[in-house]
Amino acid sequence: MELEKIIKKVWPLVRKKHLFPHIPLPSVVEGGDDIALEIKSKQLLISNAFFEKLKAKMDEEEIVETILDHGLTHYMYCPWDFHTHLSLYSEAKKVVHQKEQAQRATTYFMDVVTDTYCIKEKNTKIAKLYKNLPKNGMTEVLTALYEKIWGEDLESGGHEELVNRLSRIPYLERAKWGDSVKKFTQVIQPLLEEEVENTHQNSQRGPNPLGEHSLDNYSLDEIDRGMREFASAVDNLQEFKETVEDLREELEKKGYGTGGMGRGRGNHPLDANLLYYMKLAESYTLPVRQLPIEKRGYLHPHSHKPWEIGKPFADIDLWTSFGKIMPGMTQIWTKQEGETHGELEGTPDCLIIIDSSGSMINPSERLSYAVLGAACACNAYRKQESKVAVYNFSDALRGNKIIVDFNCEKDRIYAAICRYFGGGTALDLNDIIHLLSRTDIPDIFIITDMQITNLEKVIDFVNTIENRVTAVHVGHNAHSTRFKDGTKKNRNISLFNIKEKEDIPKIILGKVDEYLNSPVR
Amino acid sequence: MNNPFEAFQQSVAHNRTIPLDNILKSKGETLNKILTGYEELLKNEAKDLVWLMQYSTVIKAYSIAEKGIVEIDYTAEDIEEFCYALDHSDQIPYLITGPAGVYVSVLCNHAKEEEINLHLRDLNVKINLLGYRLPYNKKLVVEGNVGDFAGIGLDGGELIIEGSGKNYTGAGMKQGKIYVRHNLGFNTGHGMTGGQLIVGGRIKGLGKIVGGEIYERDQLIFPPDGIKPFNF
Repeated sequence: MELEKIIKKVWPLVRKKHLFPHIPLPSVVEGGDDIALEIKSKQLLISNAFFEKLKAKMDEEEIVETILDHGLTHYMYCPWDFHTHLSLYSEAKKVVHQKEQAQRATTYFMDVVTDTYCIKEKNTKIAKLYKNLPKNGMTEVLTALYEKIWGEDLESGGHEELVNRLSRIPYLERAKWGDSVKKFTQVIQPLLEEEVENTHQNSQRGPNPLGEHSLDNYSLDEIDRGMREFASAVDNLQEFKETVEDLREELEKKGYGTGGMGRGRGNHPLDANLLYYMKLAESYTLPVRQLPIEKRGYLHPHSHKPWEIGKPFADIDLWTSFGKIMPGMTQIWTKQEGETHGELEGTPDCLIIIDSSGSMINPSERLSYAVLGAACACNAYRKQESKVAVYNFSDALRGNKIIVDFNCEKDRIYAAICRYFGGGTALDLNDIIHLLSRTDIPDIFIITDMQITNLEKVIDFVNTIENRVTAVHVGHNAHSTRFKDGTKKNRNISLFNIKEKEDIPKIILGKVDEYLNSPVR
Repeated sequence: MNNPFEAFQQSVAHNRTIPLDNILKSKGETLNKILTGYEELLKNEAKDLVWLMQYSTVIKAYSIAEKGIVEIDYTAEDIEEFCYALDHSDQIPYLITGPAGVYVSVLCNHAKEEEINLHLRDLNVKINLLGYRLPYNKKLVVEGNVGDFAGIGLDGGELIIEGSGKNYTGAGMKQGKIYVRHNLGFNTGHGMTGGQLIVGGRIKGLGKIVGGEIYERDQLIFPPDGIKPFNF
């Protein structure tokens, strides 16, 4: 095919121009004649119909080169990664309060940034491409904008007021993209409203000639990493939830769920609340002190799976990867736990006890340090391949409790941790005794504000058991002081206080005096 | 030995100056001049960070502000930019809403454009005194809410507030029109002698009014008879 030959000829030059991005050779799709480019998981797809339609007006190699310039600059500059894309969308949404309009505003903004960057920094014929593209609706306004900010004659014009306002936005200042996308969206809001209304009335939309930007552009790993960064960066939980709820359909279609730790198709529908704590907890690493235990398994290489960008190099199996590091070709080892016998250093299982009474923050409304702390503890123990059980309680004696037995399923554990009851606070010690009997001397991680009705019984109980107890109290009050005094003679208990998010990494799980000399992992 | 980065060296950066660079540069320079004028006004009028809203202080602040902007070549977009700069403490030494409002009014009254649109919906601070002395042939459209004393001393211009205002809106206005999409606070139209104040929502309370007309939700409430349809 003619287009394929041109792509093969032009691709090395374009790659060099963009400093050799890690992207496979673009391919050809029949496609429609109104959309030039699609991007699916880093694969650039150029529409043959579009190429055929435009080749009467432009040199064939120039068409391909400009389309690739545009596509590669999305990859190399804006949005660069999924986190940036989400952040831009979230800012645009703050202005228009409507999903479809926010998505379109984000797409248009990213296109303006990308093409302007290309014009300024690269030797490109993008201006010529825009000159030859049909101009209507938003494309007409953007072409008029380009004419003004690039200083090229694109046979456009008009929309003076809009263009004046749009031309004052610093598109190439990455640090200001948040404010810029907001301003950009404010200015084009009337056009967006009109465009969305027309789409709903005619059930078809004038497409963006250089392609849409959807989740299809990203791999699951990129989405997962983006979610983690977005969870850490957003001002509040509601902003994260709103964005995830908006993208729920696309995320689920893509196979992204809370079931597989974010990645992979989950068994449950996507829960934005759960995902927030999951991703935020991944930003923290809590150390777990090991202790000598019997019969402990260690990880050994078991099977292969394809390597993706972002996965650790350490697990790469060079022998089956033909000595190359390239997504799709390179293989990594999947490790599995084996069994050894005898007394070795290891990490026991863990029982997480979390207070979700009325005095605690509701984790679905605001960031709950208790839930975040418990989630971090869960991650730390799961990282060591230990099992985790959850006892979530408010007034447990009246049935307000969730008991999840020791298991390895993170989504089950997180769902139990994130549940909020409200109401009174009392522990049913029989439940705890039952859970402790389910495995060999597990560690206990308890996180509460200590305003527990039967606190004295709890203190007596923890003083009688031999398990390592990491007790974390949120805030400081008379009850936490009482707990501290009541348990200070017990060397199995370590107590931490969380006043702010930054206190969470200071927690050391299973920190017990007699194990102080053991290695931290 | 071959240089492994040779291919990168050959890929020369293009980097050309485009009109956007000049637009942004000139925007930055204009904003700096406007900010300097504002700082001068503060130095003269609010030395001790206190500014009392009095008839004489407003008149004095207005004439100082007029001198401060004489040599600045600005557009309506620059005025909007300045309003947002008022919101960012890193760009403004300190914000005193009275002088800030007088300064914005001076900028609007002396702007080249006959119609000025200020999109202030996302502004956290509510600027007082917007539309002060707005003259004939000037139309100021504010998208968003405004603070106290909007449109006071209006002098024939047209002030449109696509949001709500606070107290003393239209106080002392002589002629012209003020349209308010939503609500107004107490002492609305206090001391006004002429012109029209048309409010789409509720007015909490009127001041002592001398002349002119005030409409609340299509209803003429001063002087208290007659009905006029409310239309934007």
